[in-house]
Amino acid sequence: MTRSTDIAIVGAGPAGIGAALAAARNGARVVIIDENSALGGHLRWTMARQSGFGDELDGLRGHEIASWATGLLANTGVEVLTSAVAWGLFDDNALGVLTADSSFQLHADRVIIATGSTDLTWPFPGWELPGIVTATCALRLLHLDRVLPGRRVAVVGAGSLAEQVVADLHACGGIAVARLPAVSDVTVGGSDRVEWIDDGGQRTVCDTVVLALGRQPDAQLALQAQVALTYSVDDGVFVAARDEALATSVAGVYVVGDAGGVNTPARAFAEGAVAGEAATGGTALASALERLRTIGRQTEPYPPLPAIADDTMVCRCEEVRANVLRAAIRDGAISLNDLKRRTRAGMGVCQGIYCNRAMAGMIASEAGVPIGSVVSMTARPPARLIPMAAMADLEP
Amino acid sequence: MTAQNETLRIDIHPVLGDNPRPTPVSVLFDGRPLAALAGESIATALWANGIVINRTMPDSGSPRGMFCGVGRCPDCMMTVDGELNVRTCVTPVRDGMVIETQQQLGTWKVRE
Repeated sequence: MTRSTDIAIVGAGPAGIGAALAAARNGARVVIIDENSALGGHLRWTMARQSGFGDELDGLRGHEIASWATGLLANTGVEVLTSAVAWGLFDDNALGVLTADSSFQLHADRVIIATGSTDLTWPFPGWELPGIVTATCALRLLHLDRVLPGRRVAVVGAGSLAEQVVADLHACGGIAVARLPAVSDVTVGGSDRVEWIDDGGQRTVCDTVVLALGRQPDAQLALQAQVALTYSVDDGVFVAARDEALATSVAGVYVVGDAGGVNTPARAFAEGAVAGEAATGGTALASALERLRTIGRQTEPYPPLPAIADDTMVCRCEEVRANVLRAAIRDGAISLNDLKRRTRAGMGVCQGIYCNRAMAGMIASEAGVPIGSVVSMTARPPARLIPMAAMADLEP
Repeated sequence: MTAQNETLRIDIHPVLGDNPRPTPVSVLFDGRPLAALAGESIATALWANGIVINRTMPDSGSPRGMFCGVGRCPDCMMTVDGELNVRTCVTPVRDGMVIETQQQLGTWKVRE
């Protein structure tokens, strides 16, 4: 099946919502796609009161803004596809879309990529043990599922995300038995699950470790579309190069929100509005840009990401340890693509999102080149795990 | 360590309050009955009951458990109603589901 629309938006967090509302206001046909069962992205499990969203919304909690947006979008004529995966972005702005009951190509005049951010991770000894979860996993457990991540929880990280995890854990009656600012001297151990965490010789008994180093931009579809990239010092990775209206080098493709560089939910919402206006030729573009300038950026210091010991697992999916990667790099594999081909690291289900940065860091330190010169791995469809039948169902 | 007989469920959430619609369901985990709530993910239901190991890895056979919680990594994949590699953190529980710890690559069962 093949469908078409004016505007396709991938991701229904604050950025995608901002884009959808702006585009719909200008009378465009809009389809918004999200892999979760409900709209709002990270806002759904954000309990803190928000600011920067505008007078109507400021003071509401994150999850309340998600509910507000869900109600509003239902009345704007925007077609909302939840539990739906946009797994590929092909020539002529055609998206491969898989929903619970259909698989189709969606041809869009404009595609707005609002796929947000994913937890920033970094390997350390024992991090593949059961009982270690990302901050996102812990926050979803607390607020979507109303389940404590553990009885005795250790939290790793020093930024606002770690603060949020600790505060929310305590508010829900949980106990953070240890806070570790960085992964530098951390080892986790246990027989078949987490039993202790050690920080430079200081050992704490725990049953859960939450990895809360920060977030990283996640824009697989933009990489697939081969938009021009630029190295973001704030994010420590390559991100889409964008003009003032957040358009990329590929005609009709925009990147907004955390997908283009991690920042606040309010900034993501405002970036969405800019692209939504620009993509529909709206008259409110100037005021949307002014609003974005007013909000500005709030960046955090980049966490220290130390050298990785030889026997530490780097690629969790394919079980590739640092010594194997180091040997391949010394053998001449000084690009991420080459390192992947030789070792399978980055080839697994996660598509490298949880190991690529460590691989790039290892190339940089072993080969003595700046990390900003280690370009991203080639991104190919599918961006998510989908059945082969989903692709077979598409018309050529 | 988490006691197996008490769950990690939050009785009253500090912001959200009481859970308005907790519909109990029952699933089979490795052959034993386990209490879950309708709508939650399989991995969450197990986690609430103190179960954090979902699978063993294909090559090493080492245990793995839910890590990303958003369907991106393979660590919570289990065998569910005979189907292999189900990402349990993004798959809702259903009453009567048969959930098995996936051993390495798992084994497809021929349907009768």
